[in-house]
Amino acid sequence: MIAHHPDDALLMAYATGAADEATGLIVATHLHYCVMCRMRTRGMETIGGSLLEDLAPQPLAAGALEATLAKLDEVTPYERPRRAPSRDGTPGVLRAYLGGDLRDVRWRRMGPRLAYAPLFRKGGVAARLLRGVPGADSGPHAHEGLEYTLVLQGGYTDVTGSYAPGDLQVMEDGQRHNPVADPGEDCINLAVTTGRLKFDSLIQKIAAPLFGF
Amino acid sequence: MTRSAEVAEMDVLLGQVAATQDRAAFAALFAHFAPRIKAYLLRLGAPGAVAEELAQEALLSVWRKAHLFDPAKASAATWLFTIARNLRIDAIRRERRPELDPEDFMPEPDADADAGLMLAENEGRLRIALKELPADQIQVVELSFFADKPHSQIAVELGIPLGTVKSRLRLAMARLKRAMGGDA
Repeated sequence: MIAHHPDDALLMAYATGAADEATGLIVATHLHYCVMCRMRTRGMETIGGSLLEDLAPQPLAAGALEATLAKLDEVTPYERPRRAPSRDGTPGVLRAYLGGDLRDVRWRRMGPRLAYAPLFRKGGVAARLLRGVPGADSGPHAHEGLEYTLVLQGGYTDVTGSYAPGDLQVMEDGQRHNPVADPGEDCINLAVTTGRLKFDSLIQKIAAPLFGF
Repeated sequence: MTRSAEVAEMDVLLGQVAATQDRAAFAALFAHFAPRIKAYLLRLGAPGAVAEELAQEALLSVWRKAHLFDPAKASAATWLFTIARNLRIDAIRRERRPELDPEDFMPEPDADADAGLMLAENEGRLRIALKELPADQIQVVELSFFADKPHSQIAVELGIPLGTVKSRLRLAMARLKRAMGGDA
């Protein structure tokens, strides 16, 4: 059962298309797990449809319809891209960015208990995967900008609560936490950050930029 | 034709395009939606020539994708909104739109045989509820759709705290959800 969901503003940013790509990716991956938020998104898109209906129409140039009609014979019906099914249940929206399944990810080590895999960074917003063995903690840190974390496997616990697959945690600018991976499977998260993390310990202060955090 | 009859007519036309590649139906959809999609893109700051070109391209996508339209899930207007939204992200922002993979197994809520009919009624109520929202709430809803900015930026431009933007949005969504028959 999913316990932690995006708020209306975050989900709205995805539904309207205003969210940047990395933020859109983590919201869409949450939607993969969460039927309630899929329905919320559909409701918001319906608002988009109503607003579209009620916009004052802006006439197109003369001949626009004829020009489009002339192209109908040249185009083929759209076909959804075919992908081989996932072997480990990795959400399709995420597989499009991983180029495969979670179990195929090439991890980069950050010490004995943590690993990560960068996905992409655009306009100062970074998406990456993080992995910790049970009991691993990321070290106390605060946030400059926002940090979104979505659990894909295992789980973790911090001062705000416990997070399981599908749960989305949002840490605001200036909030502090010290997440620790729960017992059981390795914890794998999708993380999106809009600014740098600020670690308390000197060694992590030095190491973090090397890993692109 | 009343406004709601006109809206329902669009769903029928889209079904005809999907079933029989009906060009007259397509022309009617074009006449209704292309000028609205152009208006949507202009509202979001696209230059006139770009809005014109993408509005035509959106309707071409409607022709190519009509067989994917599911009237039990969305009205034609809502479906066209998602096409225009994604096209803008792709063509103007040059980003990918992360979308759910319809091939994945994702449980749906219990299907209702009259889902399409309920949807049309709900959308009618939604349109009325949107018009009845307090001015400060409809403002943040419209800016969410038409400003292409994070809510933090919208807050700065309105000169109010982000928390106020979020609470107005939350109040608006609760009202709209009740109007659509949801259990807010």
